[in-house]
Amino acid sequence: MRTDWDGHYLDGRTPVRRPARVRLTRAGLEISPEGGATAFWPYAEIRQTQGWHAGQAVRLEHGPDPAEAVVIADPAFLADLREIAQAPGLRFHDPRRRRRRVLYTGVAAGAIIAICAVLYLWGIPAAARIVAERVPVSWEEELGRAAVESLVKPEKQCREPAGQRALDALVATLVAPAPPSPYTFRVQVVDSKVVNAFAAPGGYMVVLRGLLDEARRPEEVAGVLAHEIEHVLQRHSTKALVQHVSTGLLITALTGDVTGAMAYGLESARVLGQLSYSRAAEAEADTKGMGLLVAAGLDPAGMIDFFEALERKERDSSGLLKYLSSHPGTADRVTRLRRLAAAAPAARRPALEPAEWTALRAICKGAGGAP
Amino acid sequence: MGTPPPAAGGEIHRILFHGRGGSLFGIHIVNVLLTLVTLGVYYFWGKTRVRAYLWGQTEIAGDRLAYHGSGRELFIGFLKAMAFFAFPLFLLSLLRDFTTWELLKWLSFVLSYVIVSVFFPLAIVGARRYRLSRTSWRGIRLSFRGSAREFVKLFIVNTILVSITLGLWYPLFDVRRHAFLTSESWFGNRKFGFDGASSGLFGSFLLTVILTPFTLGLCWFWYIAKKRRYFWDHTTFGAARFRYTATGGAVLRLMLGNLIILIFTLGLGWPWAQVRSARFVARYLTVVGPLDLESIQQDARAASATGEGLAGLLDAGGLDLG
Repeated sequence: MRTDWDGHYLDGRTPVRRPARVRLTRAGLEISPEGGATAFWPYAEIRQTQGWHAGQAVRLEHGPDPAEAVVIADPAFLADLREIAQAPGLRFHDPRRRRRRVLYTGVAAGAIIAICAVLYLWGIPAAARIVAERVPVSWEEELGRAAVESLVKPEKQCREPAGQRALDALVATLVAPAPPSPYTFRVQVVDSKVVNAFAAPGGYMVVLRGLLDEARRPEEVAGVLAHEIEHVLQRHSTKALVQHVSTGLLITALTGDVTGAMAYGLESARVLGQLSYSRAAEAEADTKGMGLLVAAGLDPAGMIDFFEALERKERDSSGLLKYLSSHPGTADRVTRLRRLAAAAPAARRPALEPAEWTALRAICKGAGGAP
Repeated sequence: MGTPPPAAGGEIHRILFHGRGGSLFGIHIVNVLLTLVTLGVYYFWGKTRVRAYLWGQTEIAGDRLAYHGSGRELFIGFLKAMAFFAFPLFLLSLLRDFTTWELLKWLSFVLSYVIVSVFFPLAIVGARRYRLSRTSWRGIRLSFRGSAREFVKLFIVNTILVSITLGLWYPLFDVRRHAFLTSESWFGNRKFGFDGASSGLFGSFLLTVILTPFTLGLCWFWYIAKKRRYFWDHTTFGAARFRYTATGGAVLRLMLGNLIILIFTLGLGWPWAQVRSARFVARYLTVVGPLDLESIQQDARAASATGEGLAGLLDAGGLDLG
């Protein structure tokens, strides 16, 4: 055991470093700077501010800010201090505990992975469900209307009355057997060759003309509409908003301070994290949408045919890719839907009469879309 | 502007960073756990522990930096920032939504705009004042003594100039802002100096803008390196001068590497990215010339943590030696 240690002394008034001898006693430290008087620091008045990590010198401060300090490079100093000092309640770091600290760190890391997994798998979906249930329908309608207005230019809207009547009739057929809902469904066809359809919150749905061109019979359009109606009924957009905010908070908690370019990396991580939520929402809209088709007495094979046609064209670099990018895993979903459809009773009626189907396909051929 | 004259005397003082990703991860992971468990409140204490580690592992001319801030100060600063900025803005937005009186709507809009435009400069000055006042080397505190009012004025006038000139003024704004922040910084009773010219980065900036479409924007990494070199090479401390030698390629490798670390660890690799950044600064930054420490005296100034809280609000925290 050593009582005398070499260090250096900083007086807190000038940045000049003076070599000093530090002597350990039972009640405190005796500090003897080169060319200065020896001072006595009782242990109770000393604060350790550095020296908790390997390779870091021990720094001890004494007195009010700006404090005087001694720095001792050899970490073994702390072990001997513990042996010699007799003062109760010492607040000095014990290097022998570092091994235990590694263990605690491991335990903390495990706990965090567990907490995050629980939050990600159950916590965030549950929060999204609870919040979405409590959002007033009028708010969703306001949001949906604003979203559709900003996405769809008025001159691109297709308004041929006969076609619109056929489309509204199809939506009414699909919604009729479903339990009463607070939503008013409004479908708008947009003159675009992209094969896509989407649902905004509050009952607003948009079908792009390319999808009507691609469909070979009205049951295929009915299948896509049933899928979009379920997005509205299950409040998937509202849930997605909550999930977006919550995954963001979770990632922020995990990463601490991130500046500049690093923030972009985190945004990508967040998108990755959210993909599984959006896949779950698509699967739910598929399954429940098929339920709507069956309850309405329509042929559920239309939905499957359409997705299969998409799958066959998956390798084509056409507008189809856009549809697929937000609806991943076409092959899986066809298999799953086929299993569901096998148990369905035979169709009782066509989705649209031939005349209505012709009118719907011509919905964009009117007076240039002007109202 | 040519290259700055070499500092008198040939002494070169290196900066060393001894931190390791593993150690920082140990601190960080415990912080994350406590932050999750306390619903975010521990964040400020965690931030303080991380800083104490980063400062304590940074060695200049044989001695480590020390960090003297506390989580409590940061937390109070955050609360103040919420009370003085976030809460009034929230009230004004409510007012805009619920009043039908046009004049009141317009007034609340103008007021929100004023609050936001003083917020950024105040946050920058406040964070700098707090961080420097809580940093010491060889027992001597640093401090920032610039007037917040002057900085707000500089910030707003130059922001207007940037928008009038469609962005061409930006490099001048950048240098002026940096000059103000640097030349009002002190170590004990000695001031840092900045002798760069406002127009010093204008040529490089213009060249970078022109080259952007041909280099897919990659030339901006070279601009970032150039800017940092310009800032440090014109920073003086008494008879000594800083020297920064990082190239655009090195900055590109650093940032790309950090990006990859963060993406593929879903953010958990943050400590390693942070250590890489600190090592980078230490590798390329030196102080050349006599430090003349005998003539320096302690001269600490008080600083509150409000600006610090503001910076936290803007996600602008962290060790920003670069």
